[in-house]
Parts: sequence; C-alpha cells; structure tokens
Amino acid sequence: MNSLTASSPSGITHIWQLAKFELSKRFSSRSGIIALIAFILVWSVILIYPIKQASNIIMEPSFKEFIAAVFGPTTLDQLFNWQVSEFAMFWVAALYLFPMFSIFISADQFSSDKQRGTLRFVSLRVSRNSLFFGRVFGQIFIQGFLIFVTLIATTLLVMSRDTGLLIPAINTALVIFANLLIIVLPYIATMALLSLIANSARQASIFAIILWVIVSIIITLVNVKFPGLEILRYLLPGSQLSNMVNTQGLAAFAYAPIPLLQTAVILIIGRIVMQRSAL
Amino acid sequence: MSLIQCQQLSKNYSGKAVLSKVDFTLESGAPIAVVGPNGAGKTTLFSILCGYIKPTSGSVTIMGEPVGSPKLHGILSALPQDAQLDPDSSILSQLRLFAELQGIKGKASKIEAMRVLELVDLTKEAKAKPKSLSHGMSKRVSIAQALIGSPKLVLLDEPTAGLDPANARRIRQIVSEQSEHTTFVISSHNLDELEKLCDQVIYLEEGKLKQALSIQSAQEIDYLTLVMKKVDMPSVHQALLGLPNITKVTQSSDHQFIIEYPTQEDFSLEQQLFNLLAENQWHYKSILKGRTLEDTLFSS
Repeated sequence: MNSLTASSPSGITHIWQLAKFELSKRFSSRSGIIALIAFILVWSVILIYPIKQASNIIMEPSFKEFIAAVFGPTTLDQLFNWQVSEFAMFWVAALYLFPMFSIFISADQFSSDKQRGTLRFVSLRVSRNSLFFGRVFGQIFIQGFLIFVTLIATTLLVMSRDTGLLIPAINTALVIFANLLIIVLPYIATMALLSLIANSARQASIFAIILWVIVSIIITLVNVKFPGLEILRYLLPGSQLSNMVNTQGLAAFAYAPIPLLQTAVILIIGRIVMQRSAL
Repeated sequence: MSLIQCQQLSKNYSGKAVLSKVDFTLESGAPIAVVGPNGAGKTTLFSILCGYIKPTSGSVTIMGEPVGSPKLHGILSALPQDAQLDPDSSILSQLRLFAELQGIKGKASKIEAMRVLELVDLTKEAKAKPKSLSHGMSKRVSIAQALIGSPKLVLLDEPTAGLDPANARRIRQIVSEQSEHTTFVISSHNLDELEKLCDQVIYLEEGKLKQALSIQSAQEIDYLTLVMKKVDMPSVHQALLGLPNITKVTQSSDHQFIIEYPTQEDFSLEQQLFNLLAENQWHYKSILKGRTLEDTLFSS
C-alpha cells in the first residue's frame, strides 16, 4: 500500500481547501479572467470619472441644492456628510454593482460541474455539506477580493488628491468592505441554490432574473392589497439597498441583519437541495 | 467484514424499476465483474454505491459503513461513467486538490498526483487542461484520479469503453498491477476483458440479479472450449461424442465446441483429443481449459 495513505481531513478543512481552489480557479481560468477583465473595465470607468471627480462635484453647493430639489432635502443628505467624498460616490455605485457582479460571477457554482460529472470526483472525497459550503465560501472569497481591490484603488485615488486623508480613507474603506461583503452574501447564496437546480450558468442567471422580477411583482401586488404586509419585501435579497444609499459609516450596519438572515435561510434551503440532489 | 453488501436494493425512476430487490455480498480480493446488457442497471448500481443517488428501498454497506459515510472518504474511489474533470483547470491542480481532500498535504499531494499520472503514462500532460486531451487520455486521467491515495475499493464503470486496443490493454495492466492492494469492481460489456481480470461475476438483467458466480471455483464438471479451423463440424461433433468420459458436446458457435466432462486430474482427455484431431487432420485454432465468460453466463 502506498505510504501516502492518510486520514481524511475534517469538514472545515475540506471547506477551506475547496474555497481556496475556487479562488485560484477564478483567477486562472479563461472564463474567470474574462469576467475579471469586464470587472476591471467597468470599475476603471467608475473610478476615473464619477469617483475621481466626486470631491469637486459633491463640494459644489449647486450640486447639493440640485439633489435636494430632485430627491427631497433628507433623501440623500447623508451623501454630503462623507469625510472622504470619493467614498460617497463609491458607496452609491458599489451598492448596486457588487450585487450584480456577484449574481453573474457566482452563477456557475455547481451547474456546469454537475452536468459534466465533475462533482462526482469531489463528492467521493468530501461530504455534500463540505462541497456546498466550500463552493459558497469560495465565492465569498472572490467577492471579498474584488471589493478589496476596488477599495484599494479608491484609496489610492484619494491619496492622489490629499495624502492627509489616508487614515479616514482606510477607516471608511474597512467599514464599506464589511458592509458590502454582508450585502453580497444573500446573492451568492441565491446563486448557489439556483446553480444547483439549473443546467448551466446561463440558466441560473435567467432563473435569478425571473426570481427577482416575479417575486418583486408578487410582493408589490400583495402590498397593494394588504399594506400591512410591507415587511414581505425583505424576503428578496437587495430590498434594503435603496434605504442604504442614504447611510454612511457604522450606521449602515443597521441594515446588516436583513441580508444575514436572508443568507442563513437561503443556505439552509440550498443545503437541503444539495443533500437530496442526484449528482 | 464484507466489502460490499446489498440487501433488497431497489431503485425506481418515475415508477419504473431500474434495480429490483438486488441482494449480493462481495468480498475483497481479485477484481469483481458487474456485467449485463444496456439498461440492466449497472450504472445505477454504481451510482448508489458511490452515493450519487439514493436507493428507493433496501440497504447498502461498504466495508460495514453506510454509503456516504465520511469513513469511506479516501477508502472508496471510482471512475464514474462519462464524468469529466473541469476543462479549465490543469490536470495536476485538480489531482492535487483530490489528494489534499484525502489528507495528503503540501508537496506530498503533488508527488501523489504525479505517481498516479505515471501509472497511466500521462506525466507529460500534467500541466495540460483536460479539454486538450483525447478521449482515451481523458479516461486514463479519470482512472488516475481513482487511484489517488491507493484506495481499498475502486469502482470502474466501463473503464475501456471507447478506448483503442492499446489503451484498453494498458488499463487492464493497471488494474492487474494494482489488484494486490485494491479491490476493483468493474462494469463492462467486454466479457473477454472481464474474463482476463476477474474471478467473481455479478450478472444483472432488467434490474435483477440473474447470476453471481466465480469463474475459478472448483466444480464437479469441467469444460474444454475447442475452436476449430475450417473443418467438417458435424463429423468432428460425432467423433468428440465417441471419446470416453465425455458427458456432453455442444456446438456454441460456427467453429466452437464446448466439451463437458467429469473433473479429472490427469491429461488423458486432452491426449485423446489431440490424437483424434491428428488422425483426422482436423486443424484447430485454440483449446481453452474451461468456458469463456460469455458461454458461462449464457449457456442454458
């Protein structure tokens, strides 16, 4: 018998190993690199134009008056209270862009591998729980890495304007990092669930679009009929985003329980589907 | 402890029984064959053993553990039919991941990945991506992954299907070489191949276990399989029946006889047979002690 025969690692070690592999695969495979290039292009445009110009625009009293006139005096007033104005613009863009990116980047957590039988090789070596959570954590690492990179780029932009803003920029970046990571969690969990059901990444993305549109319509209709059930809108990932635009700093964490609860529920459902799926 | 124990194992798809109350017990040792026509339930049986699907009813234990038990990780391995590696990650990186998941850490995982690639003669392709490999090479890589960490039990579902003769022969060699430490359970349509490798045979048909037999088992009746060149077959048939101690002679194909006789220690029957052929100038193509697996399974 080969001397390398070893005892199987724990479930947590398996999750860590699978997550690490997902992260390295994302940045070494062709499809991963294409997605990364698209991400860099989009963020380059955002960084170079709105974010770099943010300090000038937001400082303009006329812009503040314009926003107050269009959206009301208290709807977006927090935007003007950011200590580092570049991050105000970053916050607004990131709140909507990262969920979108996470839908498309994490759309193929299981579908292709399930179709071609690749999961069969893995499932002989790890439990289905480890396989499910390993892939999900891999996507969280990927999103975390992307958020981190954009925050570094924004901090560098801030430094190019005023080096004295380094400490407030780092503090702000840390709070934003944690908030954005929490925001994308239910999207990653949803795509894990949908990619278990779908036959391809494209189909999982289509399922996601259908889910968001149909559930939004149903919730709106229910709210029209039963206004007391407004809480139903929190069933859908991202429902808190419009409220979060006008928050900043630690205050944004007030919304964190919504995506965390959504993530927990979706992951529980995903785990059940994974346990019951034929591989 | 039995290697595999199936009790009343059934699997239905949309009400249709694919496996129906299959009972068998297999022990460790020489490779074991699972044979049967298309749709007999071989792949379904393998999928249940690997934990890819759940049986509708019945139970399975592997080395005393239920299917899916963490204790079987690294002990049970498989070549699932038609399963492919991730086409976008290098072969080495995937095999290293599998080794690490089995508890082989750091550089040892690379050494192990290279060892199994060496077994299938594919070390040169280690850094290639699976999509650049031919069908035969992909199959060999899939077999390599099944050998990581020298598991105790390897299930091979159609390991040589679609392979050229040279590659198929290489796979048989690998199974033969590894059989000392690993018990292989092989499903195949190629009975000649299974005959060369296996002793125990499980025969499935329409989801039911039709036969479970040992090719080498000692029996009271012995067989000789005689394949003739172009000769007058009815005359040979008559002459064979005239030999002493012959119980039965069956013509199983155009040029083949199965001679049935009571087991004997000496070679008197063979000597008489050769004398008969020489006297009549009947040229033979081959003489096999015993019956082919095909004849064993399908003789009435």
